[in-house]
Amino acid sequence: MKLDIEMLKAIVGEENVSDDVADLYVYSSDASVHQAMPSVVVRPGSIEEVQKVMRYANENTVPVVARGAGSGMSGHTVPMDGGMVLDMKRMNSILAIRPEDLLCKVEPGVVNDELNRVLKPYGFFFPPTPSSGNICTIGGMIGANASGNRAVKYGATRDAVLGLKVVLANGDLVNLGSNTRTDASGYQLARLMVGSEGTLGIVVEATLLLSALPKFRAMGVANFDRLEDAGRAISGIMAGGVTPSMLELMDKVAITAVNNALSLGLPDVAAIVVFECDGMVKEAVEHDISRIREICEKNSGSGITVSHDPKEMARIFEGRKKLFPSLSRYGDGLVSTSLADDMAVPVSRIADCVEEIHRVAERNNVVMSAYGHCGSGLIHTKILMDPTKESQWEDAKRAVAEVYEYVHSIGGTTSGEHGIALSKAPSWKKEKHDSLEMMVAIKRALDPKNILNPHKMMDAPDDWTKATALRYNVRRG
Amino acid sequence: MGDKHLEELEGEMNTCIRCAYCFEKCPVFSILGWDTDGARGKVVLSYGILTGQLEPSRSIADKLFQCTCCRDCIERCPSNVRITDIISSARADLVASGFANDTHKRVVENIKSTGNIYGDTEVVSPARGGEVPLFIGCQYLARPNKTKKYIMILEKLGIAPRVQEELCCGFPMEILGFRDEFKAHRERFVERFPHKEVIAMCPTCTIFLKEGYGLDSKHVLQVISERIPEANMGLKATFHDPCDFSRGLRLIDEPRNILRKLGVELVEMKDSGAQSACCGGGGGILMSDPALSDRIALKRIMQAVDTGAETLVTSCPTCETVLKKAANTLKELEGRSIVVTSIEDIIWKGLKR
Repeated sequence: MKLDIEMLKAIVGEENVSDDVADLYVYSSDASVHQAMPSVVVRPGSIEEVQKVMRYANENTVPVVARGAGSGMSGHTVPMDGGMVLDMKRMNSILAIRPEDLLCKVEPGVVNDELNRVLKPYGFFFPPTPSSGNICTIGGMIGANASGNRAVKYGATRDAVLGLKVVLANGDLVNLGSNTRTDASGYQLARLMVGSEGTLGIVVEATLLLSALPKFRAMGVANFDRLEDAGRAISGIMAGGVTPSMLELMDKVAITAVNNALSLGLPDVAAIVVFECDGMVKEAVEHDISRIREICEKNSGSGITVSHDPKEMARIFEGRKKLFPSLSRYGDGLVSTSLADDMAVPVSRIADCVEEIHRVAERNNVVMSAYGHCGSGLIHTKILMDPTKESQWEDAKRAVAEVYEYVHSIGGTTSGEHGIALSKAPSWKKEKHDSLEMMVAIKRALDPKNILNPHKMMDAPDDWTKATALRYNVRRG
Repeated sequence: MGDKHLEELEGEMNTCIRCAYCFEKCPVFSILGWDTDGARGKVVLSYGILTGQLEPSRSIADKLFQCTCCRDCIERCPSNVRITDIISSARADLVASGFANDTHKRVVENIKSTGNIYGDTEVVSPARGGEVPLFIGCQYLARPNKTKKYIMILEKLGIAPRVQEELCCGFPMEILGFRDEFKAHRERFVERFPHKEVIAMCPTCTIFLKEGYGLDSKHVLQVISERIPEANMGLKATFHDPCDFSRGLRLIDEPRNILRKLGVELVEMKDSGAQSACCGGGGGILMSDPALSDRIALKRIMQAVDTGAETLVTSCPTCETVLKKAANTLKELEGRSIVVTSIEDIIWKGLKR
């Protein structure tokens, strides 16, 4: 594909365009297993620049893939048709903070934790808390409809997006949504954009709903010798008249990994449940914590500890946030691959699903951990395997398909917070078989030339192992 | 496949799940902003060299040499990936493929021909007999007044250092990718410096004597902190943690305890201790990309000025040099600044009182 590099440089500045092989190679992958080279990387600095770039791309049918931190796990930002990667990190201004309206306005390159650092003195925060909050951008969170540890109480990104400015495939700028929490003004197109993975438009500004920072917080940990007891405790808590601000599960594999990588000294048990309550009234927080403790005890939870110490809570929270990357230190020469990573199931089926995940792993010669924001029904798994062996990819392919088949059979969904892109597309298409046509029609209406993140989701190949090259040095055997 | 150095680290590179947590405070990424500039980008490039997907080239070498080796990425990596080992191995493979940086080549030639990084044929060593072997290192040998102060401080505190004619520890050869040269140099060094225990003045030498030679090395401030008397300096200062000092040697409390004992009121910068921000002087970029080094240093000095302290104290001669320059630049740009000084100057003044 021959691109007019000079024209792109004229639009965004020479220093913000690269077709150097070093940059192209780095932008060919993200945190997924996929890899495909773009032809150019462009870093726009304003809405006008995005519009001009998109007009050029549309006129010349150049694929465009928007990218934030590149921390997506399913191949969202891997440019499988080549073309242009639009690195949005230069657009990183916080444009307005209006506590009186419970909102802020930001550019897409703002980093989640940085936004919350700036909001803190106002007494507010942007609730979605992905583990990658230290580096992930608001644009990327919108693309994937990210959520995180505290979604169980505060919801996902979609719940906190009031409005969006979006540049469409043809370069037109549209204002979607509103500045208000209630909005019955026609189709909810801002909500449609959230989770659309860059396939419908380029988000260039977001109006976000803020929440008041809670004044009190307490965190607890309960150990379980049997996974099913942990599962019963989780559904008991969610049905027990309390709303934890965090309710996390870690299985034995996850416990081993986090101990190996971070030396946290977690106990050698079948499962650990981490819970947190927050609020403005101390007594209310204490009430909820006591209630959760009671439910855990009733379900054979042991060694239950509760902390009010911010440092101790931060230590536990950080340990949980770093669990996913820690999995690569599980041992036995196995490393963590981002596969089948974020299914969601009805809360009452969490334990069943985790048990099934372990069975699937065993019969397919891989190791799978299960952990996650179980209060929201979300289970994270990663496949631990030797990625240099070709046979392990066949094992992984079978394991992924079997896990999703089970998830769908119990009324779960393919992705809870990371999105679909490439590696989850085959199973997701089975789950959404009767609404795919509707989605394809929306995509065609907004992007008739199919230039926005093409061949992802509905249009992704049916064999994810062959959708792109794998980013590992795979050998026969 | 690339050259042999990266081959040993294939498993380590597969362990990197490319989460990008290493971006958070990477000094080079924070200035340049391309994914290629962060540690993840450099690991990806290294993997490309290893697998043969990338042919070694000048642009790839330039990217891999744009790293201060500040260890911040290692501090943040939840997978504990040996990132600086990967980067230095990639550099070694690039050097073997003919992509060494010219300035770096000169430094290595200097070490080979004169035993020090500056190519100084007339180094006057403050040699003396004593009980405790003291390693001075190139940076301090080039700053005889500072060296003299440290020696006098030690003597005043009842320690008799033994100083001899020295050779560079060889760290620049290792970190800049000249591994064959380091292998030969290492033999010379061991012959010249046959000690098992040593105290050293430069943070980088201290850690490299430990990691590169297996010596039981201590930084001179560890020794001083055990014996420092109280004084009343009446100074408000902030301490800049050199990367090899705080993240490498894990010496965070020691300099602060010394300064407090001397009556210095300490205020911390936004990033301090193990989370300290790099001064921009490490990893060879001061030689190969001084403009980038200046930009990183300016960012750091702004953090220091924001504390309201009148003085920035540090314990590394490279940090001191680049931060002094940055303080002057900030004064020219914004009219505000801070005095940059070394901890040995403060200790010496305190002991004189």
